[in-house]
Amino acid sequence: MIYFTKILKKEFLIYSRKSSSFIGPVVFFLISISLYPIGISNDPDILKNLAPGLIWITVLLSTLISFQNIFSEDYEDGSIELLLASGQNLSLIVLIKIFVNWVFSCLPIIILSVFSVFLLYLPLEGLKPLIISLLIGTPTICLFGALAGALSLGKNSITGPALMLPLSLPVLILGTQAINYSLNDINFSSNILLLTAILIFLLPIILFASVGALKLHFN
Amino acid sequence: MFQILKNFYHKLGSYPWFYKISGKVIPFVGVFSISLIVISSIWGLFFSPTDAVQGDVYRIIYFHVPAVSVSQVIYYSISVAAAVFLIWRMKMAGVYIKSLAPIGAAFTFIGLLSGAIWGQPTWGTWWVWDARLTSTLVLFLFYLAIIGMQSTFASRKSADTAVSIITLIGVVNLPIVKKSVDWWNTLHQPASISISGESSISSEMLIPLLLSILGVYLFVFFTGLLFMRAEISTREQNKEWFKKLSSNN
Repeated sequence: MIYFTKILKKEFLIYSRKSSSFIGPVVFFLISISLYPIGISNDPDILKNLAPGLIWITVLLSTLISFQNIFSEDYEDGSIELLLASGQNLSLIVLIKIFVNWVFSCLPIIILSVFSVFLLYLPLEGLKPLIISLLIGTPTICLFGALAGALSLGKNSITGPALMLPLSLPVLILGTQAINYSLNDINFSSNILLLTAILIFLLPIILFASVGALKLHFN
Repeated sequence: MFQILKNFYHKLGSYPWFYKISGKVIPFVGVFSISLIVISSIWGLFFSPTDAVQGDVYRIIYFHVPAVSVSQVIYYSISVAAAVFLIWRMKMAGVYIKSLAPIGAAFTFIGLLSGAIWGQPTWGTWWVWDARLTSTLVLFLFYLAIIGMQSTFASRKSADTAVSIITLIGVVNLPIVKKSVDWWNTLHQPASISISGESSISSEMLIPLLLSILGVYLFVFFTGLLFMRAEISTREQNKEWFKKLSSNN
């Protein structure tokens, strides 16, 4: 147990000292959100309808910036190899890495998405489902990102995003639908429950698969 | 019975045995599948009756339905092979996945394309964000991810394992995608357009359709064997049995 708390601490230290890891996604998110009204229209009625989808897609795309970070640096300096050889529970280590990555790359975006509600004229009753669906949906996306990152380690190819984005489709659908439901006064709790179910269902599978994918690089 | 199956399974894992047997089977399957496709196409295009509602345009069904159905069957068969590869480390399963993925992608593309060509005169649009179309598109993207993953690993074994992992994650996720697309669709899509709108199909149209489906399945079997043989010969080109075989011919 002490081993894992130490890893958790180490990961937090690494991420907090490397500001680029969380500034990148945040800057990308803010820039894209402010580009939409310029590129599409500044008419509140148009933006209001598009806002749920735009915010969700932007969050999805900004995670693309950070998912390579989960394993790539540890791969380059060789510490992944040490972790693999340590004999400890690898799934748990991967889970810690994903969690810390989520805290530093997704949590700031979720907080910032409060402002995007005002920038894109999303009605205020959409704020609650937006935040809840992001809080529950982004961990699933981070899981897919970790799997894609583990598979495409050391290569700068399109394969990672090409794998991750189609997998994230259900989360995107359920997330935007939850917001649209609340705007139409429909109960959105079923969507949140489904998002939670997807997260719980995929968590063990993806952790297992990511560990398998990591081991592939050290045959 | 179980013993025979077990024997067959063990033999299937051997490259030389597969290479020998497939070489004998291929000509028959090839001739049979292509003649079936030709017969069913001629039957479907010229001799089956014109549809009362859609007119002659419905005849694209003889290409569309076989392609779409085979593309899904190939994905499920690939995921079974992926499980076999990850559990029993059967090399042949890796060959199977690598050879069948491009075929599956090609048929998914044919399905999407023929669907678009069919949709233009009947629905008045090339593309509808209908649930079934969207999940077929996602299937196509999964195929592309599988094919793209093949080239990112230097070692064959790692590439096969990586592809198997992706395939299994895909097959776990595919039902979720399908269901969620269904829910999404109900909010946005007017119910006036639906693929399953046709009433049950008459037997004069059904027989050539079944023939064409059978022909396409056999054609996939045929091309699958060809691709697998090609893949085996690239992987085993320096092995003794292969050299002996090629020096004999």
